[in-house]
Amino acid sequence: MILTGPKIREEYQKGTITIDPYDPSMINPNSLDYRLGPDLKKFTHHDGNKAHFKDIPFGPEGVVLEPHEMYLGHTLEVIGSKEHAMSLIGRASMGYLGLFLQVSADLGHTTSSHQWTLEIVATKPIRLYPNMKIGQVSFWKNFGELEVTPQTYAKLSGAQESRATD
Amino acid sequence: MILTGKEIAKQVEEGRIIIEPFDASTVTTNSYDIHLSDTVLVYEDEILDPKVKPKTKEIKIPEEGMILNQHDFVLGASQERVGSNFFAPMLHAKSGTARQGLFVHVTSDLVNIGSIGQLTLQLYATLPVKIYPGMRIAQVTFWVPEGEIELYEGKYQNAKGPGFSKNYEEFND
Repeated sequence: MILTGPKIREEYQKGTITIDPYDPSMINPNSLDYRLGPDLKKFTHHDGNKAHFKDIPFGPEGVVLEPHEMYLGHTLEVIGSKEHAMSLIGRASMGYLGLFLQVSADLGHTTSSHQWTLEIVATKPIRLYPNMKIGQVSFWKNFGELEVTPQTYAKLSGAQESRATD
Repeated sequence: MILTGKEIAKQVEEGRIIIEPFDASTVTTNSYDIHLSDTVLVYEDEILDPKVKPKTKEIKIPEEGMILNQHDFVLGASQERVGSNFFAPMLHAKSGTARQGLFVHVTSDLVNIGSIGQLTLQLYATLPVKIYPGMRIAQVTFWVPEGEIELYEGKYQNAKGPGFSKNYEEFND
């Protein structure tokens, strides 16, 4: 079951769901808005073993993303839940501008709590601004006993590069 | 919990799910198939800026179809008005659509409870692909919520046709 906005608020007040910083206006009918954090990285090259990214200066005037290039960003907020699985997507207003927010990893595991790394690809040149509201996280009730697997990225914040080939 | 097709049909009958027009033959095991309307919107701006109202052009999709070239991004719409005050809808491609390399949404698959209107499709072609008016392009699932419901009252309510991004409204409030 997907949590409604009022339920997300209730779980936040109980301390089950972490949202930091919290602003009550972020709560939607069945999701929570997040904003784009200040660290942004752009793919530069692949060395045969792993992809390399460089930091992009990201001031108040924003940055124009080149289409079909891969960027890594992060949520401004620390978001997590002790009891719920999560799913992170971009908001409709960004999807309607052709922006992939998560190329594909939308699932957040129960007990992870961090700034989420965003996998960003633009289909058209688009300007992004730091701190802009850019996407949403939904919370899902679990079914079954919870066993927490070893955590790769669960506590890491900022724009994290892949560790798949480490 | 996800609704079965039979439950979707029942909830439509009881008025708790809105699908208009509704055709019982396009109910699937776990979803309802939706059809592409006859217009798409394309952006004309060289650079999209979420703070600025975008320039768009409306194109009618001819009966004989319209080619989307590789990397084209256009906005389409469902023929149907879709929504629910009781369930959370979610948009997915039909597998037949996706296997041709067409995204029907690049993100934002989840619909707010209480949002009712034609669904805007974020059509992105990874290969050259032909689209037709009325084609069964996508499907909607419905999910049971937990908790008190507060209905959507946002800027895309009662959408008609493909809707361009109204992000700029938030910066100009």
